[in-house]
Amino acid sequence: MSIRIALAGNPNSGKTTVFNALTGNSQYVGNWPGVTVEKKEGRLKGQKDVIITDLPGIYSLSPYTLEEVVTRNYLINEQPDAIIIIIDAGNLERNLFLTTQILELGIPAVLALNMMDIVNRRGDKIDTAKLSELFGCPVVELTATKELGVIAAAQKAIEIAGKPFKYAKRFEYSPQLELAAEQATAVINLAPHTIKSSQLDFFIYKFLERDYETEQYKALNQSQKDALESLSADLEKKLGKDIGSIIRNERYAYISQVVGLSYENINPDTFSLSDKIDRIVTNKFLALPIFAAVMFIVYYISVSSIGGFLTDFVNESVFGSESWSIPTLIGKGLESAGAAPWLQSLILDGIVGGLGAVLGFVPQIMVLFLMLSILEDCGYMARIAFILDRLFRRFGLSGKSFIPMLIGTGCGVPGIMASRTIENERDRRITIITTTFIPCSAKLPIIALISGAIFGGAAWVAPLAYFTGIAAIVCSGVILKKLKNFAGKPAPFVMELPTYHLPGARNVLTHTWERSWSFIKKAGTIIFLACAVFWFLSQFGFSSGGFGMVETEESLLAYIGRFIAPIFKPLGWGNWKTTVATVSGLIAKENVAGIFGVIYGSSSDTESLSDVWGLIRSDFTPFSALSFLIFNLLCIPCMAAVGAIAQEMKSLKWTLVAVGYQTGFAYIIALCVYQFGKLFTGGGANIGTVFAVLLFAAFAFMLLRPYRAKEEL
Amino acid sequence: MSLNTALTGEKRIIRQVGGLYETRSFLGNLGFVEGSDVTVITELGGNLIVNVKGSRVALSKEIASHIIIS
Repeated sequence: MSIRIALAGNPNSGKTTVFNALTGNSQYVGNWPGVTVEKKEGRLKGQKDVIITDLPGIYSLSPYTLEEVVTRNYLINEQPDAIIIIIDAGNLERNLFLTTQILELGIPAVLALNMMDIVNRRGDKIDTAKLSELFGCPVVELTATKELGVIAAAQKAIEIAGKPFKYAKRFEYSPQLELAAEQATAVINLAPHTIKSSQLDFFIYKFLERDYETEQYKALNQSQKDALESLSADLEKKLGKDIGSIIRNERYAYISQVVGLSYENINPDTFSLSDKIDRIVTNKFLALPIFAAVMFIVYYISVSSIGGFLTDFVNESVFGSESWSIPTLIGKGLESAGAAPWLQSLILDGIVGGLGAVLGFVPQIMVLFLMLSILEDCGYMARIAFILDRLFRRFGLSGKSFIPMLIGTGCGVPGIMASRTIENERDRRITIITTTFIPCSAKLPIIALISGAIFGGAAWVAPLAYFTGIAAIVCSGVILKKLKNFAGKPAPFVMELPTYHLPGARNVLTHTWERSWSFIKKAGTIIFLACAVFWFLSQFGFSSGGFGMVETEESLLAYIGRFIAPIFKPLGWGNWKTTVATVSGLIAKENVAGIFGVIYGSSSDTESLSDVWGLIRSDFTPFSALSFLIFNLLCIPCMAAVGAIAQEMKSLKWTLVAVGYQTGFAYIIALCVYQFGKLFTGGGANIGTVFAVLLFAAFAFMLLRPYRAKEEL
Repeated sequence: MSLNTALTGEKRIIRQVGGLYETRSFLGNLGFVEGSDVTVITELGGNLIVNVKGSRVALSKEIASHIIIS
């Protein structure tokens, strides 16, 4: 028989670190803070018959958040043999609140006082013998980051596993509550019930709190349920408060007595180092300049200096024309193996070329993720949400929306996934929809192409692209928050902030790797397939001799392009080439520029890049080029990002809303830019102009119409 | 008086926590209960970082207005 030990505790109490130390990180852990919604299992190092389960971090065993429900159901229904309750010893009182609730579940428990190094450094003293006596269970001191005491905690848990345990309170609650608890016990005992005597305390207080979300409650008969309800109501009347507050207050009062007997705080009123940092970093005058400086450094390192250098290396050497580069080597291999020309073309032009375009961005993205992981691990990321909250609130977003957008500048997929930390459903949905408006690294080649081919490399094009993205987010936030369908449950901005600490190498590297790998995997699998399909469509078609390999002009791709092209006519670029390029962006935005190269470059009278650019220029006016750029930046993102949207929205309807909104928004803005540009430069007006004026008016109305926030908190 | 009126660095005592049921529960679980000490560490545009029961919690201005102190 194997022994099952669960790890439970508050968020930021170091549970994951303990789990990694116990299991030797045989399981893949590490996630965004607060999104370990699923439990994770691993086996104890050196003792394969001991299974360790890492439960999501929670503040209480109430049934409100997803994390609470997962943890609570596991503990009540699956009853592990023992629990290790991980406690941030530097934050004893708050952590013991959850502890008392877990102890009432009657499962043998070890209290693991983690982060003892911080307590010792402060000079505070915890009387573990006293704590052990007061709670009736073993207490172990830990410093999980240094793997101290971790194994001892597990050994203690194994010792007590499966033995009977009943938590006994050492202090009484107020007479009114004690009386109500007694009466509730009597009510429950009126009829046969499914509640174990060791768990009675847990259920009594849950029932009194009107927490009825358990099987045990549903098994009671109606008169019992009515009696319990009237006990709660009586107590509320007697004390003049709601029952939830009553029980929380009593529980905290109880814990204060425990802490008073076991904890010695040397300097209760001094500001800690972390507080001193906060007084500078979140200071009224310094917060935004410091934030701007940090962001500048992050982007300078990841995009311009180190990351840029590595990406150039990959693009120009690994996937370039060096004698040892991947395309060269594969080409030689295929030739010597005697592969057919079409197969060589498929593999080299289609798959290797397409994958190369995406994988080239991996170094840049890895450096960006590394920087962001460092910001997150040291505790600054949580402060960014705080600093930007008031600003973002005006646009219908929360401070937490910034992080997905920040990550979205690298790649939209992890950006969209990072929106999980936003509890408010409305804020989260708006964030998911708008995150990809920020130009991701895959859109940079489009910007470079338009700027180079049409505007002679003008310096204003790239900033304009970012500005358009930010303006699109702000306008969308303002518009969407006014829509009824987006009115979700108002979730207030309340967030525990971790203490600042030096980032741990292991943690940072795990995070970086996990995020980069999900980028590589998602991009790799989808783009691999898409490249093959696009290659096929661009090479094959019906010609006079039937179906076979044809010139690009005659290919299936060209036919499809010509069919769709009229849709983009009002935007000023309705020919099959631009259409195909745009549609190919669905698979990966890098394709847009790539397809331009393929289509315009394959014609026989192009020798150099400037010839290709000349051909492209002949198909655009300055305003149709801007319209093309804006449409491609704002419209539906690549399929990998759409997949991420679907995954995070968890609903087909909302995914379609997101994609439809993005595309519609892009279409309207691109239409207005082209039509107004044409009108003001004397290009004349037509039916498209009329639509542009009407849509612009509608847009302006949505943006400016008055709105009274109905936010009850 | 609401928590918004507290000066930075001043230790105050929570008298009442208002707002919707779930807001109250969440704040209560985090340690915002009657009789508890609370200290404002920094203030930024009305949003606060406070110390309650030894932990640091960021609160929006609107939430802070539901916490009554003395």
